[in-house]
Amino acid sequence: MAQHIQQISSVRTPDRQVARATRPRRFKYFNIPFIVIAAALITYGLIVVFSAVANNAEYNFSRQLGGVAVGVVLMILLIRYDYHRLSNYMVFFIIITVVLIMMPRIPGIGISSNGALSWVGIGPLRFQPGEFAKIFVVLLAASTVARYGGRLNDIREYLKTLAILAIPFVCILTQPDLGTGLVYLFISGVALIVGGARPRYIVVTVAIIVIAVVGLFLIDPIADSIAGKDVLLKDYQRARLLVFMDNSYDPTGDGYNLQQAKIAIGSGGLFGHGFMNAAQSSLGYLPESSTDFVFCVLAEEFGFMGSALLLALYIALILVCFRIAHDAKDLFGTIIVMCAAGMWLFQILENIGMDCGLMPITGIPLPFVSYGSSFMVVNFVMLGLIGSVWAHNGR
Amino acid sequence: MFQAILIGLITLIAIVAIAIVVILRHRSHDEPRVTSAHPVRSINTVGVGSSGKAHTSRGPRVPSTPTTSSATDDQLRSRFTAMGVLVAAVFGSLGVKLWSMQVIQHASYASKADSNLYTTVYTPAPRGIIYDTSGVALVRNRSSFTVLAEADVANNRDVCLRLSVLLGIPLDVVRSRIKDTSTGAQNNRVVASDASLRNIAFISEHASAFEGVSCETRTVRDYPYGALAAHVLGYTGTVSDDELSSARDGQDLESGDVVGKSGIEASYENVLAGDHGTRTLLTDADGNVKQIVSETDPTKGNDVFLTIRAPVQRIADQKLRDIVAPNGYLGSGSGTAASIVCLDVRNGEIIAMSNFPTYTPATFIGGISQDIWNDFNTEESHYPLMNRAIAGAYPAASTFKSFSAMAALTDGIANSSSTYNCTGTWTGFGEDYPQKCWLTSGHGTLDLVGGIANSCDVVFYDIAKGFYDAQNTLGDDALQDYIKQYGFGKTLGIDLSGEASGRVPTPEWKADYYKDAPEQAVWQGGDMTNMIIGQGYVLVTPLQIACGYAGIASGKIYKPHLLKEVRNSIGETVISSQPQVLYTPDMKEQDIALVRQGLVDVISVNSNIKSEFSGLSYDVAGKTGTAEVSGKSDYSWFACYGPLDDPRYVCACLTEEGISSAQNSVPICADVLKAAMQYDDGTLDTTMSSVPGNYQTVAYSSSSTSRSD
Repeated sequence: MAQHIQQISSVRTPDRQVARATRPRRFKYFNIPFIVIAAALITYGLIVVFSAVANNAEYNFSRQLGGVAVGVVLMILLIRYDYHRLSNYMVFFIIITVVLIMMPRIPGIGISSNGALSWVGIGPLRFQPGEFAKIFVVLLAASTVARYGGRLNDIREYLKTLAILAIPFVCILTQPDLGTGLVYLFISGVALIVGGARPRYIVVTVAIIVIAVVGLFLIDPIADSIAGKDVLLKDYQRARLLVFMDNSYDPTGDGYNLQQAKIAIGSGGLFGHGFMNAAQSSLGYLPESSTDFVFCVLAEEFGFMGSALLLALYIALILVCFRIAHDAKDLFGTIIVMCAAGMWLFQILENIGMDCGLMPITGIPLPFVSYGSSFMVVNFVMLGLIGSVWAHNGR
Repeated sequence: MFQAILIGLITLIAIVAIAIVVILRHRSHDEPRVTSAHPVRSINTVGVGSSGKAHTSRGPRVPSTPTTSSATDDQLRSRFTAMGVLVAAVFGSLGVKLWSMQVIQHASYASKADSNLYTTVYTPAPRGIIYDTSGVALVRNRSSFTVLAEADVANNRDVCLRLSVLLGIPLDVVRSRIKDTSTGAQNNRVVASDASLRNIAFISEHASAFEGVSCETRTVRDYPYGALAAHVLGYTGTVSDDELSSARDGQDLESGDVVGKSGIEASYENVLAGDHGTRTLLTDADGNVKQIVSETDPTKGNDVFLTIRAPVQRIADQKLRDIVAPNGYLGSGSGTAASIVCLDVRNGEIIAMSNFPTYTPATFIGGISQDIWNDFNTEESHYPLMNRAIAGAYPAASTFKSFSAMAALTDGIANSSSTYNCTGTWTGFGEDYPQKCWLTSGHGTLDLVGGIANSCDVVFYDIAKGFYDAQNTLGDDALQDYIKQYGFGKTLGIDLSGEASGRVPTPEWKADYYKDAPEQAVWQGGDMTNMIIGQGYVLVTPLQIACGYAGIASGKIYKPHLLKEVRNSIGETVISSQPQVLYTPDMKEQDIALVRQGLVDVISVNSNIKSEFSGLSYDVAGKTGTAEVSGKSDYSWFACYGPLDDPRYVCACLTEEGISSAQNSVPICADVLKAAMQYDDGTLDTTMSSVPGNYQTVAYSSSSTSRSD
């Protein structure tokens, strides 16, 4: 007991901790730091997109605002909704995911762009079902892993889980959209890690995937020449990967894009050129400045300080997510939050990484910043799910 | 800059630190820390919390699902640690990469961005004007109406078609000119230069039908006197890729510039060329100009004043034309080509330099057509672009005898009392090697002066044999060494490019020349006898002959030059050329007097030469020459200087296939020399008129007359 007393004295503010733990929540449903960080990110993103679309008649800032408005409503509804009720719909999620991913293949509503069928147009509505599918991939991963949770150190259970989680990835490859496929893969990977799969299994799985990709690259030209057409990788995907590996390889101008993206980022310097002063994008040197390369606009206008602020906001968001995940009532909730955070993490890495030449160029948007209402709505749904996990963690 | 880097560095460290803290905080739970874990557990015991997934450092909490065992809790911790490491790695690498790009490599990216965004286009500067010695403009600038089109007009078929019909240029040519990016992608493309005022007015009035087409006034070269002094002035043309890549440091040369290609235009390019006007433009990715950032006006080049006397030059040009191509028909007169140089003995100034066939430099304005260029380079046209006065190397023939005679006198091979007997055939190197005098009937007994006056070959054969026999005492090259003192065998360094060096053969030269055929490489007596009469391997240019005779006339050879001075745009003289003595030949007074006497006699013994110089208030000395060229009719020479007692001007003229100098070279030299003297007196008609450059070549029918030297 004496030892205990001594130990109690070493805690600096035990009373405050006690008070904090027992204090009633001021807002039952809203985790204030989480909401503040998300709001800051969305505001920052809107500022950047406003500048990026200013000189581009193709894009419409109010459409982005519309996405935010729809997203906020969905988010509030979802926070009030008890996420836990979703945990038993695994089969339903599989079906929804496959239907969403395959939607562009439906004749009449599928719209092809840039060699990939990833858009759907119903009446005036145009959206990318592959983006919405991310929500269901997260839910699918969470419900699957939660169901097999604690048993993933068994190889058979692991393989079963893996097989279910591979379904969306295989489906998206038929579009084909390698970038989104990688996002699904990453979400599944996070689910497996957090779900408690044996590290050995995960390492072996990753190794197999790497070997498969390398093999695909080697076999692709042979298969193409035998079939006489593109059978495995699309030309543009191949080119993007090759450009990433060798800057001088530039058959389609992808190297030009990367070059311009790097110039935009590098010319921003420490403090940037100021709001609305991104010459690289406003004069058209930077392609896709509102979507894939929106980070370059930010980097050029606000410099390294601006980039660092964005990274800091992302880190803060992910840390808050970690905490919410940790405090979740059950494994299902933990995995939902971790998968959402993982999705953001991967998209941040891929998008910013490709802008500065660390990653191959794919069409993956930057969370909360890139123009595109589909993905904006998806981000809000993710926020809503995370908020729900926090609101319903039983305290 | 240092501060900026410091601030950035701190930011970066902050980001990395946050990532590390996350990992450490997770890790901290893996180790049983007595100081923090237990106390909170003790708090639990007093009823605040309990075990379960409690992470006290994250704040104590009331467990709601106490189902998870502490083993799972540990597992969960390690999983969160794994994710934390991943997050740290992602943001760490992105942060470092952005730091390196935006702060460390910022300067290099910023300059790349600038070269992306800013384009500089150049507006050509007017070239300087070329004047003669008294300020008569020989080359000026004039305004030229230029039709310009924007790049995308090439895709507008209607506009291209209208331009084609209006300007009379084929549609394909219009298109290709608009697509030509040689003057810079952002520059408007020249569709037609020198368009008529009528066409310009039409385009301006129908602007809507000529969308993207504009008219501009540019300056081009203007030659008020046609072909006058064409070879001296030279022509201009668009700069070639070679010239661009070999541009000197500090030379303001841009693609599409007009530069001097020959003559003075080329040799004083750096003086004549002005400074470009520049326009710095902000352009978008499609090349559209968004803003003109800065603009400077072009500045005109410096003006060049030549030593040329335009009226004398006009007479030289006109006389050559009258002799070689009367009425513009080359081949109907005397000879097929001719060249004359007149220079001032006292300082080396070129008074006139003329060649026929000639050309009009204006032909080259806006680019010469391939057809005309090809015509200029045919045997039939007799190469009008060639400046024969400096680039034509010919056998010197009898004009060489003055120098041979001086060599003989100086080296003691001959003297004033030497006598020679000419029978028409000379067998000094044995009966097996007979050599003929040009006058096969023979000149009889002659002294050296007579030998020069009559141009008797036998006299000089004897002298050659004298040199050949005296090899042991005088050396192998005594004759050549002396002759070279008059500037032969080397370029004189006139301020024009393309000067030929000519040749004075020596035994060493012959050995080297025939090194692959040793049986021909031996220096023989015949080489001496050939050389001494200016035949064999001897080659000279008309300019060298003129300078050599300047040496005979005055005892000094000045460097021949065309530049008098350079004046800048406000009329200040910035460069002026000074006379420079190149050679002072070794000569004794009594010896040179003998040679000069011989040259005076040349005029007096030939009645048809004498008549050319009759009625003058001063005496003239001169020498004819008839060069034998294999496969051609004889080339005729004449060199002269005057006044005899106070030499001022020397003229040298060569007529290709002229046969008899009395019909061509002599009258040409006579007219030019007289004109130069009259110019000094102010009695020359200085009314300038255009000199035609065009001619037609007809079959040459030389009216062969008897040779006179």
